[in-house]
Amino acid sequence: MKLDGTFTFGGPQESVWALLQDPAVLARSLPGVEKLDASGPDQYRGVMKVSVGPVTAAKFDVAVALTDKVEPSHFVMQVDAKGAVGHTKGTAVIDLAPVESGTEMRYSSTVQVGGTIAAVGQRMLESVGRTMMKQALESLDRELKARLANGRSAT
Amino acid sequence: MKPAPFAYHAPFSLDEALDLLHEHGYDAKALAGGQSLIPAMNFRLATPAVLVDLNRVDSLRSVSRDTTTLQLGAMTRHRTLEQSQDVAQMAPLVSAAMPFVAHEAIRTRGTIGGSLAHADPAAELPAVMLALDASFTLASRSGSRVVPASAFFLGLFTTAMEPGELLVNITIPARADRSAAAFDEVSRRHGDFALAGAAAYVVNGADGKCEVARVGLLSLADRPVLAAEVARLLEGTRPSKESIREAAEASAQVDIDPTSDIHASSRYRRQLAAVLIRRVLERAFLSLEHA
Repeated sequence: MKLDGTFTFGGPQESVWALLQDPAVLARSLPGVEKLDASGPDQYRGVMKVSVGPVTAAKFDVAVALTDKVEPSHFVMQVDAKGAVGHTKGTAVIDLAPVESGTEMRYSSTVQVGGTIAAVGQRMLESVGRTMMKQALESLDRELKARLANGRSAT
Repeated sequence: MKPAPFAYHAPFSLDEALDLLHEHGYDAKALAGGQSLIPAMNFRLATPAVLVDLNRVDSLRSVSRDTTTLQLGAMTRHRTLEQSQDVAQMAPLVSAAMPFVAHEAIRTRGTIGGSLAHADPAAELPAVMLALDASFTLASRSGSRVVPASAFFLGLFTTAMEPGELLVNITIPARADRSAAAFDEVSRRHGDFALAGAAAYVVNGADGKCEVARVGLLSLADRPVLAAEVARLLEGTRPSKESIREAAEASAQVDIDPTSDIHASSRYRRQLAAVLIRRVLERAFLSLEHA
């Protein structure tokens, strides 16, 4: 499955970059992620719970790695998740560029899904993937705006 | 394959069922015909702690009509709908869609309320309810409220129902004079989840102009959708073969958001949508001409 798209963050590129490299922010923003601890440089491990309709809180062990960094405009995020009902492996190539209203993120991702979820839920995978991507990006944008607002009031 | 352990309740009355759903909230699932929930539990995709079986609640199983509406209890089986003369007379679109709902064995168990509450975007009945402008009565221990179909389906398997709420009744407006309905879908094998589908309900005025053109679409977004563009382009006009085709193609461009999977690409689904919308509209308007 491929998930490609663009998203415009309402803030400057440096702030967006810093946001995306912060594991605490990622843990709060990636849908269903309950915790994310550093397991090495730019590598994190944690637990993720996903609920979609009849799928009630499927639990996954998740590993996130950030690679190929070119600050402040390009990196690759790899997400591996394994659980009792299936497993996924996703790679997202992320590019940031300044635009008039903030920072445009261009993402191009490939996600492989296996196990029961893939066998039974094949026809829903893209919808679920798209929904989770949207939730993550909107949540990141809220984080960014909160940060910028705090930064301004502090100075 | 066996489900994870769960507590099981089989109340006889609606009040008991609502009490149980209130008590257990998010942990509880209502069991209707079990044609989606039980497989999901057996795969352990769904692991509800509590099941509230509605099959003994007789008051939820009913088909009744008055002059302006058809009322369906949520536990009415697909098979009952399929064979009901009241349904055929009051809401022929439901009868037309019924043979496409899975297979006979599933229809003998599956219920209308179960299908609507499950909100599978590939299911037939949610799209039919949108086309018919049906409304749903949701009951909970603290009372009941009525939600139109257009505000009920919020996303993939997601509805406006709150924990503790139960879909108890479906109200469908009686078919108008000079109305017609048509249903069609494309699936790899009959009874499979459709790659795309369309349910049309149209009404013409005495002057031959289209008053209502409602088309519900399935498997073409993360929820059932109403083809708003069709209504915008056709209502108030005298539909021709050409204008129907244009409306179908326009709708397939703007009203839907199809996904790709191993069965069909997004692009192919969009093409199917244009064909199916045109087909159901042509069929419905044609039957009005010959009426």
